Amino acid sequence: MTSLQPWWWAALPVLLLPLWWHRQKRQRTAAELLATARFLPSSAPQQRRIWRWTDVLLLIVRLALLVALIAWLAVTVFPWRGNTVLVAAGLEPGWVEREIASARMQDADRIALPPEVLGWLHHNEHTWRDGARILVLARSGDVPMPARPPRFEHGVTFRLAPAAPPPPRMHHVVVAAQDPRWQSLFAAFGAAGERYELAAAPTTQTELIVWDRPGIPPADWKAPHWWRTGGAGKRVSAGGLALTYTDTPQGRIWAGMPWPPASAADAAALHAAWHTLAVAPLPYPLPALETTPAHMASAAADGTRAPWWPWLLLGLFILERLLAHARRT
Amino acid sequence: MLQTPALLAHAANLDLVIRHVLAGLGHGIHAGRERGAGVEFSEYRAYAPGDEWRRVDWKLLARADRYYVREAERDSHVAAWLWLDASASMAEPSYQIKGLDKLWTARTALACVAAIAQRQGDAFGLVVCGDGRADVTPAARGPRQLQRVLAALARTSASGALPDAAALKAALRIAATPAVVFAATDCLDWPSPMAEALQRLRHLRHDVRVLALRTQAEVDGSFPSGVAYREREGEGALHRLLATDRETYRDNAFAHFSGVAAHCRQHDIVLTEARIEQPLEAVLRSWLRPPSARGARR
Repeated sequence: MTSLQPWWWAALPVLLLPLWWHRQKRQRTAAELLATARFLPSSAPQQRRIWRWTDVLLLIVRLALLVALIAWLAVTVFPWRGNTVLVAAGLEPGWVEREIASARMQDADRIALPPEVLGWLHHNEHTWRDGARILVLARSGDVPMPARPPRFEHGVTFRLAPAAPPPPRMHHVVVAAQDPRWQSLFAAFGAAGERYELAAAPTTQTELIVWDRPGIPPADWKAPHWWRTGGAGKRVSAGGLALTYTDTPQGRIWAGMPWPPASAADAAALHAAWHTLAVAPLPYPLPALETTPAHMASAAADGTRAPWWPWLLLGLFILERLLAHARRT
Repeated sequence: MLQTPALLAHAANLDLVIRHVLAGLGHGIHAGRERGAGVEFSEYRAYAPGDEWRRVDWKLLARADRYYVREAERDSHVAAWLWLDASASMAEPSYQIKGLDKLWTARTALACVAAIAQRQGDAFGLVVCGDGRADVTPAARGPRQLQRVLAALARTSASGALPDAAALKAALRIAATPAVVFAATDCLDWPSPMAEALQRLRHLRHDVRVLALRTQAEVDGSFPSGVAYREREGEGALHRLLATDRETYRDNAFAHFSGVAAHCRQHDIVLTEARIEQPLEAVLRSWLRPPSARGARR
């Protein structure tokens, strides 16, 4: 805990205040002044007032109110969530019910799956009671695999609905070349599973421009990557090819590849180099897994309070006012 | 206009109340010993507000264009001493008339006596016993003295207990000249240093007249019952008043005031008992009545 909030517990002696008040009330006696009181028979002083039930209840409520206020200020976290199912939106209801039934969590609370579910679980795990189970129902691919296997204090089960395979990735390429071997090269690339759309002039979606013409390309042609001949720059080796690249305002210009690639080996090497250097990798989805509870440092120190604290305080305050009024009347 | 004690009690101006009461009282209640044929001219004195117009020398006014008052030489000096009991028990209010309490009645009665004394040319002084001490305003005559005494009366509030014998010693030095002592008290602390002081004054051949003031509720015990009561003076114990306790209360009060009356009779102190709800004129009339008249009536 980095904050001074736990020091609020030092305010607990404030609880003596209502106790003292109620003691005071017990000693007070209503007596009127009278000059000739001596002629009246003396009576025992009414030092003890009879405790009515409202007095005791009021004292208890006041003490509870103060304790709740101090606990709220000291950010005391009480685990309050039980078994819970986190359901992603748009899942097939039949599959969801089947999974919940197979996990035997029909009576568990259901909440919507938040984005970034792993981080969210780490952040809020302290709100679950000991021994509570968490079932995460998501679409395959919704939850990316973290660098390390996830570990939680509670048993968390991930069940992933089978998702339709993603559509093949589309690459927009401009080939400014007379040589038909370039077209056949990209047709061979497309056989590897991705689709390549060739065009004559670049658009905003264009990823790559192959410039195999004499002269310099028009100034308004822009793309993230260019393949050209010649030129020098930083050296990089990928897929068995020694390439150089230069960053220009028009994009990154690559050189050094076989020009044009004549053999299947050249094409394969160029494909590997292109994928290594320029194409973002596909995300690796989290597989369905079941974690075992592990002891971890509590993340409760960040000052998050349970959402029902203000309602508890308000309820206690209203109760205290009601009882005080009932005692007066 | 100020017909009832309630209306009087709400009149803030003590001077106005006195005029009204004295107007109802008439003249000649207290026969001045110095007035009449034996008075000889002594000196002129500058007029002060409050002097009676008939004492202004009009011929001298015509000559000097100034107001002068004829002062007379007196054969004897009778001083009127006003004793006010301002202990906390005097703050007891009337249960019938709002705003009226024993201190107010005592104060107003003493102010009326002071006004009468001033009108008659007597010297008068004031002793206020309260809060454990006795404040003495020395005796003098004249309208300024009346204002002084009225101011002292007006700023008196009922608090504390009666002074002890040591504190009353200074007040007993008033005994130099023959005096009439008017004491307004509630006689609740009767065997007290103040009672002994009055008794000693009586033994020094002064005329001592005690006005014993009570409220109507104190007389018949008609306080609300079911309430705990505490004495006004000191941290007294609690007392109860049930419906059956009224008889006891009346018996105890009767025994106490019978003791006071017996004590006064024994020492020849004139005791006048009054309730503060009574009209003030009647109270004053019986208080100021000379002892000879009382004896004649008996």
